[in-house]
Amino acid sequence: MFFISIAMFFIAPLTAWKIHSRKRGVDTGDKRNIKLIAVYFFLLNAITFAVSSYRGIDMRRWNPFTTTVSFRIKYIALSTLLGMLIPWVLCGFLNKGITMAEIKRHSARFFSDMKKYFPYAVRAAKADLKAEVTNSFLDWMWWLIEPFCMMLIYTVMFGVVFDAAEEHFPVFIFIGITMWNFFTRGVSGSVEMVRANRSIVTRVYLPKYILLFSKLMVNGFKMLVSFAVIAAMLVIFRVRITVSILCMVPVLLVLFLITFGVGSILMHYGVYVNDLSYITGILLTMMMYLTGTFYAVAKRIPAPFGAVLEKANPVAFLIAEMRNVVLYGQVLDWKLLFVWCAASVILIWVGMFTIYRNENSYVKVI
Amino acid sequence: MKKKKNAIELQDVCINYSIMNNVSIRKTFLHKKVRNEVFEAVKHVTFAVQEGDILGIIGKNGSGKSTLLKSIAGVFSPNVGTIDLKGHSVSLMSLGVGFKEQLSGRENIILSGMLLGFSEKEIQERSQDIIDFAEIGDFIDRPVRTYSSGMYSKLAFSITAMLETDIMLVDEVLSVGDEQFRLKSLNKMKELINDRKRTVIIVSHSISTLKELCNQVMWLHDGEVRKLGNTDEVLKKYSEYMAPAVKKTEEVP
Repeated sequence: MFFISIAMFFIAPLTAWKIHSRKRGVDTGDKRNIKLIAVYFFLLNAITFAVSSYRGIDMRRWNPFTTTVSFRIKYIALSTLLGMLIPWVLCGFLNKGITMAEIKRHSARFFSDMKKYFPYAVRAAKADLKAEVTNSFLDWMWWLIEPFCMMLIYTVMFGVVFDAAEEHFPVFIFIGITMWNFFTRGVSGSVEMVRANRSIVTRVYLPKYILLFSKLMVNGFKMLVSFAVIAAMLVIFRVRITVSILCMVPVLLVLFLITFGVGSILMHYGVYVNDLSYITGILLTMMMYLTGTFYAVAKRIPAPFGAVLEKANPVAFLIAEMRNVVLYGQVLDWKLLFVWCAASVILIWVGMFTIYRNENSYVKVI
Repeated sequence: MKKKKNAIELQDVCINYSIMNNVSIRKTFLHKKVRNEVFEAVKHVTFAVQEGDILGIIGKNGSGKSTLLKSIAGVFSPNVGTIDLKGHSVSLMSLGVGFKEQLSGRENIILSGMLLGFSEKEIQERSQDIIDFAEIGDFIDRPVRTYSSGMYSKLAFSITAMLETDIMLVDEVLSVGDEQFRLKSLNKMKELINDRKRTVIIVSHSISTLKELCNQVMWLHDGEVRKLGNTDEVLKKYSEYMAPAVKKTEEVP
């Protein structure tokens, strides 16, 4: 039993190390091998620990020598799976010639560029908003009228025709539409982003994700206006508001990050693949129905799948959480929100890295 | 005489275009490997420009002049070699970067200026000068889409002319607007160019312009430096080279 307890922690890192050295194909020295095993040891066990504690095992009082066999098997299975996947992905990157120095350089550059170009992004966003409404008859009123009318249409369609029975249905649906629109506009816009800004991109240098960032600020502002409408509706429908409504701020923040992350990766592929916009269009429509803009995913989809779908799809999760905190006064699922926040930071980072690495040739392709 | 410092140094610069323009998903499925043809636009160019000098670049169409200029401006970096600007600020004179047609000229000045790398405060300080120089009157507060093409380029030129940088890169923008404005802009250009501290690179097809402005000319031919040196010498060689081609076109009835 003692050996199994020890082996539990070591099987995965050893597998990872084996795969790593095989995939890299270079004979590494002893010192480096030990370092590699140590890194994988901490990384894999940390992730497995985190997952176990998320699944409800109290890790503070957990003792590897007295735990159940079932847990041990699960622990070994999960960590070994990770130990196979992580080196696979990592070596895929390393074999492309990505070095640690480059990673450091681009990460540092991201912050300095963000600082440098942030004022422009804000200015461009403001200009975009202004350009949209100058000369239109009703001016900025459209930002209120458009989502409001959408809400009316959906409420009539689903509330009356399909007889949906959620509490405060108009507000319920309005939250869904508003947040989904932000995501879908950001993502589908990002595919064509570089091409659409051809006149800027070919003549001055700017980090290409700044274009996306600026666009997201425009969409974000519109979303906030819609949330003002929601506030008015809360009063009209006499929804009982609790303190947990303040949790909408982190939810919106994570939505922004997720959209930015997904968008920045798609932006890169959008430059090279001409017909990507069709694919994203189809996928987004499909995703819209799985995201529950006009129904509650966890309730309507049969038991095990509903809850899984809601947790595995970040937008569905965020919409559901938003409804929970605004309409039903429930507590936010901080743990999962944090997981998605971390995931979106990784996505953004991958996006930044790909853009920095390839943006040199964007100008030459479009 | 004090020895001048170099403002721009190019070391063995190569710029490639890989021609893989239209990748569509169907194509990637049909041929597993997309052939990347590589086109070398600029090949092993090495030169240096001293502070305050004016370098002209001449060459026929497609010889890589604009590509080289863009790469010095930082729009993209070279595939091989280094470009060292010694910490100077640089701008590529280009007309109307980032203009939004729906907005007034005044707002476009700020937007365009920020893209060129200036802070909002710096632009606000200069914006009156820009407006005065552009001479488009009340139109400055009207949307840019209502401008005539002349007014558009006047405003655009004024922005790039008044927001000064240490190194200026000029790509054939000397002729904008009506006759009067053209003279004025040419004079402004000369004033900017003749500033002792300013380093300028001009790309042009006009031999007379280069003769008038530059103190050094580089002849770029198919991405390679054919000749670099004294203005008169290089331009003479260049016009000799181009002469048969000119004659040929004249013979066609």
